[in-house]
Amino acid sequence: MTKWGYATNQWKAGFTGFARMEQQERALKVTAACGFDAIELTAGTGRWDPMGRPENIQQNFGSVEHFKLKLRDWGIQRVASLFFDPLQMSFEELHHGLDCSEPSQHALLLQQAGVFARFLANVGGEVLVVRALPPFGRHGGLDAERQAAAAGCWNAVGAMTAALGIKTVLHLDALSPLRSPDELAAWLERLDAATVGLCMDTAELTIAGHDVTAWYRRFHQRVWHVHLKDALAVDTLNEYRAPNAERALLLAGGERGIPRWFGELGTGLVDWPALMGALRETGYAGWLIVESDKGPAPAAASLMQNAWTVRHVLQPLLT
Amino acid sequence: MTQVGTPLGGRHLRYAYMDHWRVDTAQGQVSQYSSVERFDAFLKQVSGVGYEAIETFDFHLGALRDLFGSLPAAREFMQSRGIDRVLSLFHAVMYDARQSTPHVRATHDHIVRYAEHIMKSSAGLGVQNFIVMPAGLYFDVEPVTDDKIRACAELWNRVGQMTLEGYGVKTCCHHEFFCGIRSAEQLQKFYDWTDPRYVFLCLDTAQHVIAGVDPVDLFLKLHDRCAAFHLKDTHDVDTNGDYRRKPDAEVMAPTTARWFYEIGTEGGLVDFPALYGAMKEVGWQGWVGVEHDKADVGGGNYPESTAIAAWTIRNVLRKIHD
Repeated sequence: MTKWGYATNQWKAGFTGFARMEQQERALKVTAACGFDAIELTAGTGRWDPMGRPENIQQNFGSVEHFKLKLRDWGIQRVASLFFDPLQMSFEELHHGLDCSEPSQHALLLQQAGVFARFLANVGGEVLVVRALPPFGRHGGLDAERQAAAAGCWNAVGAMTAALGIKTVLHLDALSPLRSPDELAAWLERLDAATVGLCMDTAELTIAGHDVTAWYRRFHQRVWHVHLKDALAVDTLNEYRAPNAERALLLAGGERGIPRWFGELGTGLVDWPALMGALRETGYAGWLIVESDKGPAPAAASLMQNAWTVRHVLQPLLT
Repeated sequence: MTQVGTPLGGRHLRYAYMDHWRVDTAQGQVSQYSSVERFDAFLKQVSGVGYEAIETFDFHLGALRDLFGSLPAAREFMQSRGIDRVLSLFHAVMYDARQSTPHVRATHDHIVRYAEHIMKSSAGLGVQNFIVMPAGLYFDVEPVTDDKIRACAELWNRVGQMTLEGYGVKTCCHHEFFCGIRSAEQLQKFYDWTDPRYVFLCLDTAQHVIAGVDPVDLFLKLHDRCAAFHLKDTHDVDTNGDYRRKPDAEVMAPTTARWFYEIGTEGGLVDFPALYGAMKEVGWQGWVGVEHDKADVGGGNYPESTAIAAWTIRNVLRKIHD
């Protein structure tokens, strides 16, 4: 049976959002009202992100057990997964971003990943989703030495989380320096197939110019986790290569002024019948996490519309 | 997971959503009836949390025709999104003593003609209830006398007979807290003096609480007359006489910026578990309307309120009755 969940990332657009208990309660009740009873959390930092750090959850809810009870009160039966981008600063680990292709930063990255993996194990989660690689623009691509370093980093993280019963999956985004499927396939050979999998993000891959169904069919044995969202445009000018692509392309729209890259399911470029058919044929059994990442306010609107599409369009395609 | 987007209703109750939405766009808030794309998104969102019908105002009929070519085509589009029908049509009458005011008998013929025009022009949407405010604004009606209430009763008997016998639609009276028939005593007289075959109650939980009337008690007294619900909550009883405020009590009351909240709001005054208990006790079955009127006052938004109400129905109320 397919396991559906919903990411929480759309609710935390700024310091003041998703901060107070009543805001979290309303957000998760909206999620549950749409029928999603599992969530993916996003790692955060600082005192203003109450669900972004296990320490904050401890302080705000008293304990992980109490947090789970509270989630159940709101209709959320479990935390399926947690997304961790090591390139984000951390007030707790005192860094301004960790790069998995820099061996000198591996120890701290492993330590920080361990915080989230142990939390996932305690809360009954299954998957630690990590940003796989720094964006292309950071190093002008990724040479063989850096590719090897990154693989070594994630093999260490994968072994650590596997010991806790947690899967590690690598999330490849629209700015990934490993653009072509062949480059990715070569890199995957360096990764431990038993402990490190892939998270397929339908929108990110589409923006990067991939046919997600073809991509999935090629890599499906390594795909353990899926993020579902639609893509409203493709990076046809290869602007992912720019040093500041994270802001200039994704947030500001790049040369073409794309107002919004991610869309609700069924509103963009992803061929959902083809992809759902491929998931069905290959017997995909992992989580399908729907996202409203960077969607417009109000966040509830996107979530509700996606619930409709899951029920009326995607679920029928899986059975 | 089997719950995604499944209907809110169970064996005895199904849920409709009374629409007051506006949608945020690059051009600010606009009506979702402004394009097929926006209306489609609205329907999917409402259906996505389990409602199976919508309710709307009769002034949207023209827009629906413009968008879809005809009302049957509009309904077909709704059904493709999981919305079966426009369950109830709220009759937006410009109450004015020169033309239409229920306590003035000289205006009754005009009101009946206009109501029949709406019956004819709304065919094809699957409308079952015709919702009306049975008296004018309180300050236009006061002093509220027995004769004025009787005049209102006479009017709605005529309208109710016309809508039911001519079109199969029940006329349901919806008592805003600022309308001329609002107190428990006035309500009792009105329903005593109207024909139970033709005039029904639309129980608006928040409006009655604001007016100082217990909606559970009212339902138990009038459940045989209750054909529709507008379920919403409030945080305030009008203890200051805001209902008499000119020109408006609903959005201009100096004491209260926002009167209406969704089911499930913290500190809400409507006892929904008791109401559902009462509905179960009397064996009430059918469509239940959920409403969020002015939900965007003070930073709220319609989609979130719609989903919070659905959550509360699914997780708290459904187990009481259904």
